[in-house]
Amino acid sequence: MLNLANRKTATGLFVVVLLAFFISAPLLSLFFASNLLGRQFTQAQAVTLSFWNNPYLQRVIVFSLLQAGLSTLLSVSLGLIVARAFARFGKFPLRHIILSLFGLPLVVPAIVAVLGIISVYGSHGWLPLGSKLYGLTGILLAHLFFNLPLAIRLLLPVWQSIPQQHWRISSQLSMTTRQQWKHLEWPALREALPGVVLLIFMLCLTSFAVVLSLGGGPKSTTLEVAIYQSLRFDFDPSLAVVLSLLQLGISLLLALLATKLTYKPDVEATLNTFNTQIPHSSSKLFLGLLIAVASVFVLSPLLAMIIEAFQGPINEVLTDSKLWQAAAFSLMIGLCAGLISVSLAWSLLSASTQHAYWGNKKLASLFELSGSIIYVVPPLVIGTGLFILLSQTINVFEWAIPLVIIINGLMGLPFVIRTLGPAIRQHTMRYQRLCAGLDLHGWQRFKQIDFPLLRKPIGLSMALVTSMAMGDLGVIALFGTPETATLPLLLYQRLSAYQIPQATITAVFLLMSCLVTFWLLEHFIGKQQKAQYA
Amino acid sequence: MRYTPFILPVLFSLFFQTASAVDPNQSKPILTVYTYNSFTSDWGPGPKIKEAFEKNCGCTLKYVSLEDGVSLLSRLKLEGKNTKADIVLGLDTNLTAEAEATGLFAPHEMTIKKSSLPNEWKNPSFLPYDFGYFAFVYDKTKLKKPPTSLKELVEDKDAPKILIQDPRTSTPGLGLLLWVKKVYGDKANEAWAKLAPRIVTVSKGWSEAYGLFLKGEAPMVLSYTTSPAYHIISEKKDNYAAAKFSEGHYQQIEVAGLIKSSKQAELGKEFLTFMLSEDFQSLIPTTNWMYPASLSKDKLPDAYKSLVDPSPALLFDETEVAKNRKAWVKEWLNTLAK
Repeated sequence: MLNLANRKTATGLFVVVLLAFFISAPLLSLFFASNLLGRQFTQAQAVTLSFWNNPYLQRVIVFSLLQAGLSTLLSVSLGLIVARAFARFGKFPLRHIILSLFGLPLVVPAIVAVLGIISVYGSHGWLPLGSKLYGLTGILLAHLFFNLPLAIRLLLPVWQSIPQQHWRISSQLSMTTRQQWKHLEWPALREALPGVVLLIFMLCLTSFAVVLSLGGGPKSTTLEVAIYQSLRFDFDPSLAVVLSLLQLGISLLLALLATKLTYKPDVEATLNTFNTQIPHSSSKLFLGLLIAVASVFVLSPLLAMIIEAFQGPINEVLTDSKLWQAAAFSLMIGLCAGLISVSLAWSLLSASTQHAYWGNKKLASLFELSGSIIYVVPPLVIGTGLFILLSQTINVFEWAIPLVIIINGLMGLPFVIRTLGPAIRQHTMRYQRLCAGLDLHGWQRFKQIDFPLLRKPIGLSMALVTSMAMGDLGVIALFGTPETATLPLLLYQRLSAYQIPQATITAVFLLMSCLVTFWLLEHFIGKQQKAQYA
Repeated sequence: MRYTPFILPVLFSLFFQTASAVDPNQSKPILTVYTYNSFTSDWGPGPKIKEAFEKNCGCTLKYVSLEDGVSLLSRLKLEGKNTKADIVLGLDTNLTAEAEATGLFAPHEMTIKKSSLPNEWKNPSFLPYDFGYFAFVYDKTKLKKPPTSLKELVEDKDAPKILIQDPRTSTPGLGLLLWVKKVYGDKANEAWAKLAPRIVTVSKGWSEAYGLFLKGEAPMVLSYTTSPAYHIISEKKDNYAAAKFSEGHYQQIEVAGLIKSSKQAELGKEFLTFMLSEDFQSLIPTTNWMYPASLSKDKLPDAYKSLVDPSPALLFDETEVAKNRKAWVKEWLNTLAK
């Protein structure tokens, strides 16, 4: 038993070391690259020193924090309201479809989303904002589009995790809605909230294409953009390293704060959590209205794109064999990245829950933190750093695809940890003793106990990372593989060849591919959840 | 089970590694050309050029396509002497001085026989393959009276709003910066301050800004004088035009160069010769939508004859750009970031 648990810890620690390598190795190799380029080693120090006196960089930091903070506040608070509406409204015919569609914005490549948002809010859109769109308004709008549905999807399961019995008791005690919130919903939310806030904050902090396209100009430069520019145009690796460390530091600080605030309750092992009915719901009309407004907000940019696509030369684009090749290639990259992400996260979470189970909470959160934090190191930094490191020894081009897959897999980690983490934790609390008693471990335990019960969050995680990696442009563009274009790359090639209508169709095709992949994975991996509880 | 997280990535990596390492034409020499994405895409000149060159060279032409000219330079700096490139195609004259400073390029030792460039070509390391002029493109049906000079665009408070690109990430963006510098000199900063309220957005690259323009987000976009040719030839639409500015238009010359350490130097020179031949040059106007660097005017498509005359061509000396670029960009940044 102890031996087994130690193995879990060892595996978890190995993944932590692996992640630490993927964060530090690129940064170090970039740092030393400045030296190789004939610059003085002290340059980085000079950069750090002159840093605080540089008004431009000060503005960059302030703006990064401002936009990320505001975006997170809006997304999470509105997300809470709408997720609550979903939970309380109960079942309605389109519920499942709407929630599925809410998974889409996360996997829509930023440039596609931006075009969709402009179709709705641009000067010729359905709800024109004029040139006010470009600036903080546009950034917030786009971030809300990306993160509101994410917040809803991450928070909704919290309501589902409140045991049925609790609602019944609240009903017997004739609790008001407010009392229900205070005694049932809030305590349950407390566990998930800091993690969700952190994830969304990191997403907004590292948001890149949105800021560049809707920001309106250098006024809205974020750290991520500054890093990109220091590497791409000035080719100043030491500045990139300093900025990356700064971004990493900010996120680490927040992550530690989030860990402190996270309150992990012990869950009673036998209560039925498959609730469908929440008694004493507030006015159905109001809840329905909330759901409708949120759905329209999230779906309108996608709908606008689809309508635009249908006005273009659909046949020409769809009959292009390159499109289908690219789709297959994107899918393959996505699936591999998804598998890597889920396996790595599984190891981390197993080790984490094992230690949480023993009451060793600090170590437990270290495992989770290491998985989430890698997201804030820009893929460009990881990619470029690895490139410098590896190009000394191997032909990087032959390894481009594995590298793209690995980096995409790493970038998916925080999402898997968020979706799978709470489920694994509760699951361990419930079944750890049973498994220990039956001496069930390793593959048998995974097959008999873990997978059947956790297939829903596993399916969701896999679906998320796969479709996100399918939409990735940043990493693949870095390595420049000409024979094999992915869908986003194809889309970008269309855009750079004046073919805007064709690009819109490609974008919608990418959107559909992501939706179908997402749905298939979520459905087929996660299908038997209900049967297990029934 | 506990090994799975590590076995899977390794397996996948090996699978892809072997899949990409297999090359059916291994017996033939391979000429590796680093270039940008829109060159090698199906709609760019890349595929046809590869086909035409491979007919006679007895070799395999392999493209490595990066995002744009700026990424090409960064990639070269990254790789240094270990670069796998034999040819680098797609830098422009604003980047050549910096590229030369890497010491990676070999002299081409060639002359252009029939240059279409307005000025004489002297650079010993790079040869031009096409060129164009930056201009603000507009829709004639929507904008009846476009500004007729850069000064009018900058100083007239009622001049149309514009979409531009960031000089730190995009070559047209840098082009506009230099254009304003050329026209305004030391007063460029004040010009940018006057222009700022009418800049709808500053995008990362050309495609984003042009996409926004076609969606009607602003009446004018920074692009090329040759952009309307695309709409005329490919879409049969003649409503797009470039506004002619009386000060002249800033020029962009795209070049290719030979890598010193290349083991395929002969093939590389063959490619550069081919690059200046009619087979290559006649593909440029309808795939890269630029003026070919060495093709007589009567061989240009008809649509090119209807384009605005961009003269006088404005161009800074490449060493001057290399020397001042960082300072000028910083100046621009501080003006626009306020």
